[in-house]
Amino acid sequence: MTDETLVSEKTEEVTEAPPRQGRPNGLWAIFKKELGHYFTSPIAYFVAFATLLLTGLIFSNDLRSRVLYQAPPDGTVVLQTLVFLMIFLAPLLTMRLLAEETREGTLELLLTMPVRDGDIVLGKFLGAWAYFTIIMVVMLVYPFILASVSSPDQGVIITAYIGAWLFSGAALAIGLLFSAVTENQIVAGFLGVAAMVVLWLAEILAPMAPPELRPFLREISIEGHFSSSFARGVIDLTDVAYYVFMMAGALFITTRIVESRRWR
Amino acid sequence: MIEVQDLTKYYGNFAALKGISFTVEKGEVVGFLGPNGAGKTTTMRILTAYMPPSAGKVTVAGYDVVDGSMEVRRVIGYMPETVPLYPDMSVFGYLDFVAELRGVPDRWDRIEDVLDRVGMLERADSLIRNLSKGMRQRVGLAQAIIHDPEVLILDEPTIGLDPRQVLEVRQLVRELGRDHTIIFSTHILSEAEQVCDRVLIIDHGQIVAEGTPQNLRDRLQKGGRLFVRVGRADGDVEALLRKVPTVREVTSAETGFIISADDNVGVRPAIARAVVEAGWDLLELRPLAMTLEDIFLELTASDEDTAEPEPEEE
Repeated sequence: MTDETLVSEKTEEVTEAPPRQGRPNGLWAIFKKELGHYFTSPIAYFVAFATLLLTGLIFSNDLRSRVLYQAPPDGTVVLQTLVFLMIFLAPLLTMRLLAEETREGTLELLLTMPVRDGDIVLGKFLGAWAYFTIIMVVMLVYPFILASVSSPDQGVIITAYIGAWLFSGAALAIGLLFSAVTENQIVAGFLGVAAMVVLWLAEILAPMAPPELRPFLREISIEGHFSSSFARGVIDLTDVAYYVFMMAGALFITTRIVESRRWR
Repeated sequence: MIEVQDLTKYYGNFAALKGISFTVEKGEVVGFLGPNGAGKTTTMRILTAYMPPSAGKVTVAGYDVVDGSMEVRRVIGYMPETVPLYPDMSVFGYLDFVAELRGVPDRWDRIEDVLDRVGMLERADSLIRNLSKGMRQRVGLAQAIIHDPEVLILDEPTIGLDPRQVLEVRQLVRELGRDHTIIFSTHILSEAEQVCDRVLIIDHGQIVAEGTPQNLRDRLQKGGRLFVRVGRADGDVEALLRKVPTVREVTSAETGFIISADDNVGVRPAIARAVVEAGWDLLELRPLAMTLEDIFLELTASDEDTAEPEPEEE
């Protein structure tokens, strides 16, 4: 038994020996291309610049007033700002991903490559999320500054970062979805912002809605799952599941939309 | 290598392909000839597994384009009509991306080979946005052959190029034809004549004629036309020519007469004799070679106005 598995493992090794022989790796290739593109794209630099500038200003202002009023330090303020900014940043980062491929005709190239449609979508999404993760890594400078001048609650900061990271994944997936809908980047961007605003305001709109809709509106609120849990140091599985579900759902629909291009 | 049976494709209610069938043998260079909107691009998109047929069976290298879509995509190299390039990438970066998508082993060596083959080696580091149309076309070709595919499908590879670039691309296609099976579409008839072993003429989603360029010409030339030029005539030449047996029609052209006859070979001595017997000089007597252009017009002229536009590139 053990001998057999050993042998089969060995033969597998042998067949896989030549580098990347006959094993197209579309997901990885697309991920690399998209992540690389962010480092040559003015919009991506603008997003990074705006994110770091705005969160930096908020951070220093907040810090100054807390010192002034002797208030306890709060490492989550920048992240609260960040998730709000995601309404605009996520569509900015994702609007071109599929819209441009469609417009330039390069989608025809991708769709005739030996790559699954889902891998194309997933590769693009992961490229965008990886880029945003890099921005968030740079933002780790804030808790370090905070820790050097006071003793903030590190637990809350960690959960808030995890929450904001999940939030950004969901926001980017939604942005990508609208990039698949149209071949016009600007339209994709606007639709993405609109969708984010609706999801953001869902909780605020809930009290005005018919009673039977209220719980639903509260549940789909993209902000509620962050500010009332992760930002308070709580990791609730429901909230994790919410963001994961948003990502998976948006990516699934995006894949379906890309597939549907074949039928037109 | 490629087998197509009763291939039908509908866009909504519009039938872009109305049940076409053909086969392509290994190593053949086959030209799709047809006006815009004939169904050439649609056929190619189905062959490359870009979109599924509405009905019919299509296999490439033994794989069905629907059930074996991934395998089909692996054996095919495809250059769409609008060359799919990323303007922000360098030539090398672009080919590296495609090669990785296709899982080409020893990518960098292969890219160098391919660039050398299309004559773009010295532009490897240029951004694609800075390339001329002809160079982009060559990068598109390089992309299509990067994985040394068994089947190469080129959609109007010479469209929009200047005459020299056209010649270069044709030369390249002929070279590639030595070790690849190629399907290649065009609406330029002389191009199909020069490059292809066999031509399929497609119109309104149907194959209206098929054969070698020579073959097609012969077939449609039966009872072809002759040009006759007579010098120093003191009578009615046209009337005389009409009297020659089997001559169907005589029209006067600029310097002579064009004759349609049932048998354009057998009638020649009779014409020569008739002219000489009348005491005139026969200056010229030659068959008018029918170009594919003529053949094409003859085959497709029937209902030009109803031609539907080909679906635009998205």
